[in-house]
Amino acid sequence: MITVSQLLKTVPTADGDLDILRGIDLEIAAGTSAAIVGASGSGKSTLLGLLAGMDVATAGEIWLDGERLSDLDENQRARLRADKVGFVFQSFQLLPALTARENVMLPLELAGVTNAGQIAERYLCDVGLESRLEHYPTTLSGGEQQRVAIARAFARQPRILFADEPTGNLDTRTGERVIELLFELNDRADTTLVLVTHDERLAQRCDKRFSMTAGELQSL
Amino acid sequence: MSLTPTTGTASSSGSLSWRLLAREWRSGELGILLAALVLAVSVVVGVSSFVDRLQSALLSESARFLAADMVVVSRTPIPEEWIDQAEQMTLQTSLGVGFPSMAVADVDHMALVSVKAVSAGYPLRGELLWSDEAYGDILRDGAIPEQGEVWLAPRLFALLGLTTGDTLMVGEASLTVTGAVRGEPDATTAVFGFGPRLLMNTLDIPSTGVVQPGSRVGYRLLLSGNRDRVSEYEAWVSPLLGQGQRLDSVEGSQPRIGDTLDRARGFLLLAGSLAVVLAAAAITLASRRFGERHTQYVAILKSLGAQSHDISRLYATSLGLMGAAGTAMGCLLGWILQEAFIRLLGSLLPVTPGAAGVEPVLIGAVTAMVCILFFAWPPLRRLGEASPLRVLRADIGMHEAQRPQDFLFGGLSIIGLMWWYSGSVAVTLAVVSGLAVVMGLGFLAARGLLSGGRRVGGFAGSIWRVALAGLQRRGRANALQMVIFAMAIMLMLLLSVVRSSLIGQWQAQLPADAPNHFLLNLAPEERPVLEQFFTQRGVAAETLYPMTRGRIFSVNAETLPEWEEAEGEDAPRQREANFTWSDELPTGNMLVAGDWWEPEDTTSWVSLEEDFAAGIGASVGDRLSMRIGADTFDAEVRSIRKVDWQSMRPNFFVVFPRAVLERYPGMYMTSFRLLPTQKPLLNELVRELPTVTVIELDIVIKEMRSVVDQVARALELVLAVILVAGSLVLISGVRSSLDARLKESALMRALGARQRLVLGTLWIEFLVLGGLAGALASVGAEVAAWGLQTRVFDMNWAPTVTIWWLGPTVGAVIVGALGVWSCRRVVRVPPIQLLREV
Repeated sequence: MITVSQLLKTVPTADGDLDILRGIDLEIAAGTSAAIVGASGSGKSTLLGLLAGMDVATAGEIWLDGERLSDLDENQRARLRADKVGFVFQSFQLLPALTARENVMLPLELAGVTNAGQIAERYLCDVGLESRLEHYPTTLSGGEQQRVAIARAFARQPRILFADEPTGNLDTRTGERVIELLFELNDRADTTLVLVTHDERLAQRCDKRFSMTAGELQSL
Repeated sequence: MSLTPTTGTASSSGSLSWRLLAREWRSGELGILLAALVLAVSVVVGVSSFVDRLQSALLSESARFLAADMVVVSRTPIPEEWIDQAEQMTLQTSLGVGFPSMAVADVDHMALVSVKAVSAGYPLRGELLWSDEAYGDILRDGAIPEQGEVWLAPRLFALLGLTTGDTLMVGEASLTVTGAVRGEPDATTAVFGFGPRLLMNTLDIPSTGVVQPGSRVGYRLLLSGNRDRVSEYEAWVSPLLGQGQRLDSVEGSQPRIGDTLDRARGFLLLAGSLAVVLAAAAITLASRRFGERHTQYVAILKSLGAQSHDISRLYATSLGLMGAAGTAMGCLLGWILQEAFIRLLGSLLPVTPGAAGVEPVLIGAVTAMVCILFFAWPPLRRLGEASPLRVLRADIGMHEAQRPQDFLFGGLSIIGLMWWYSGSVAVTLAVVSGLAVVMGLGFLAARGLLSGGRRVGGFAGSIWRVALAGLQRRGRANALQMVIFAMAIMLMLLLSVVRSSLIGQWQAQLPADAPNHFLLNLAPEERPVLEQFFTQRGVAAETLYPMTRGRIFSVNAETLPEWEEAEGEDAPRQREANFTWSDELPTGNMLVAGDWWEPEDTTSWVSLEEDFAAGIGASVGDRLSMRIGADTFDAEVRSIRKVDWQSMRPNFFVVFPRAVLERYPGMYMTSFRLLPTQKPLLNELVRELPTVTVIELDIVIKEMRSVVDQVARALELVLAVILVAGSLVLISGVRSSLDARLKESALMRALGARQRLVLGTLWIEFLVLGGLAGALASVGAEVAAWGLQTRVFDMNWAPTVTIWWLGPTVGAVIVGALGVWSCRRVVRVPPIQLLREV
């Protein structure tokens, strides 16, 4: 499902080039879950951005559901995300101008789905927000916002779900509830889940765990 | 429940743009951009239609001085078909005939008079003032002398020993005196005619038998009506004009009013051009903010799979729709704005302004299009380039909202618009050079001072340190913001300065104590009588100037052609003029070439007025031959003078040293001022000195002063509109950096900063920004004012001290107050709420 080979990411700085990722190799099978743990600045989010096709690697290859990302241009990678990828972010990244329902509808609409409203409502019910459909993000709590984000990620029925510190902005109890929800929906949809986290307990729930240190990835 | 996603067709992706647009609209973000566009279009449309209507009102107001909108002047009778054509074009017409003649009361009482015969409808513009008896109560009932009647200039009553009801002879016709002419709207077109006025009806002309082939007669066809029709007639008749025929229009007929109108028009068009620049500035700021606030939005859309072209289509559609809506709303609002002005001014304007044409709307629409394409679109187009990675890392830099080439193209298009709008390269160049100075100095100063500020702040108290650090941190954005503030303040200062100097100059032209009567034909031996008359009655008079009629017929021994023989309109030709002598350069005159003679100089010198010199093709050092009566003599051109025709003093084209002209018989002239209560003195004067001619300009001056007052009021109103537009740009400017400042202030509060520190920091930041912008604006305004005053308004430039303290003060106070007011929420709302919102 996800195959990474000798992935390198270098960024120019005032003091010369800085290697953020140093020859990453990774394989995650379809329908499994994987956690990438590591300290801040170790390169976790950079790897996630590359895996989702939101950034371009300096060298190396990534295959996502059989497609080689380096063969695709930016628009084709966006299309791939629209068709196969879901996202859950640490800071939720809901659009403040849209209601909870409209936020969930957005990726469906981008993919040209015509019954987006009904699907969005169903997923919001699944995450327990049936009474919050028309609420705007600023009127929702952090946990509720993350639940909207999870509904948005699953509504498109993605083949792969990337989650970047999904509990990072939540208190422990809310975080646990969100984790439960995430895994429950993941199991139900048989999605490939890739998590980036500091949270050891969250990592423990994944099939595979990797540790990122100074741009190098090791299987735990 | 099982729900399967159903995929739509391509059209559904098109409708996605609409759905996203609808949601965008609800968020209020588009509203800010729309408001800026509506503001831009409405100010441009409002100001330009107001200017258009005001201009037409002022033109018809000043048409009073011509008694018509346009006059065909001819030395031969006006062809019938010209009159027919004018009537076909639905123009109003009235015919006038003028000639010198003797008016005879009896064998002992006769006088050379300037006859003016008028027909029904006269005057087509303005009013004919008359009274039942000489110096009686003024009537303005639209009457003219009936057939068989005459109205006389008041002094003719004394000169001819007549009263109302008596008869006099003009040629072979016997006519009854029924009134006195007290004010003709077009009197100033022939101030120095022959003798006092006798007004009669054209129907009596044949019976006088005076008008014969070869008589010195002037015919005037007065025309008035719709502006376009008048222009059409002008185009029709111009090619048909022959020798001794010309067209007079408002601008040409009355130099003082013509100048006033020209300058007022220049000012109004300048104001409109400034509105265009302010509009562009407002749009730039609004779309920049829109773009910045939408970068994250676009990153999320892209992380969810939106492609660049989806984003571009979304914003292109949004902008297109908003552009159309903004233009329509702006045009409507602009129309309401100008209608409100006109209504506000309604009671002050003597004539009802005509309808505004379509041009203002066209200008508004084109302005909107240029603003959208060059100022609003670039930041939105670049949104498509935003990296989706921003959803993972907020520190990913944003694309430059505007790039140098955007400003270059935008700047060029704005210059083009200003040029189109003002129709003047000089106006455009003056404003552009002021703006260029502001921008050039602005970016240098902003960077230098703002970065230096932190070093200074390092030694200051914590409020200053935080404030100056804030200024430096947003250095680039602050530089742009400061330049836009400076531009807006500069334009407002510039307009205020130009307005003040224009109005000041107009008032100086017509001072309250200006002479309002001219006295001509005073014999040398009558001088002591007049001087005594004035002294006894406390009347202030100007110097007495000797005056002799003469003709210049050759330059450097080459005989000039007679008026009729000259080829081409501007070809040198013989000229007749009133000669005078003077020991000193007459007051209000300025030498442009050569120098002035010593009082006792007996050499045959002559000094010429510059246009007169050009008319005969003479310059300093040339020898002129001239004739006074039967005598001819030569004189060398010693100097060329510029004459202030705006002054109410006697002015002369040709001046000689005393020794050259004193030997020729001549009469004297002067000007003096009479208060309304002293008016009956004229009767006494004419009784004591029956041969003198008195020209009453008090009524004309009063009318001119009222025109100037109205124009001045109009200028103030337009200035107010521009000040409002400028203030709105300042508000947009402050708002453009609001998010970053709110976030920082909220963070400071969250970290425990007290309200005083947060507010103090904001005050300092905005005061420094505003003060610097104001200082830059002063420099730019001075540069542009110099260009406008010397190149456009033909005025003398002097540095305006006010600008130098007003700019920084206004900048600091307005920007400071606006800034802190806009950020007031930061101390009212809990910081956590602000941080969540921003």
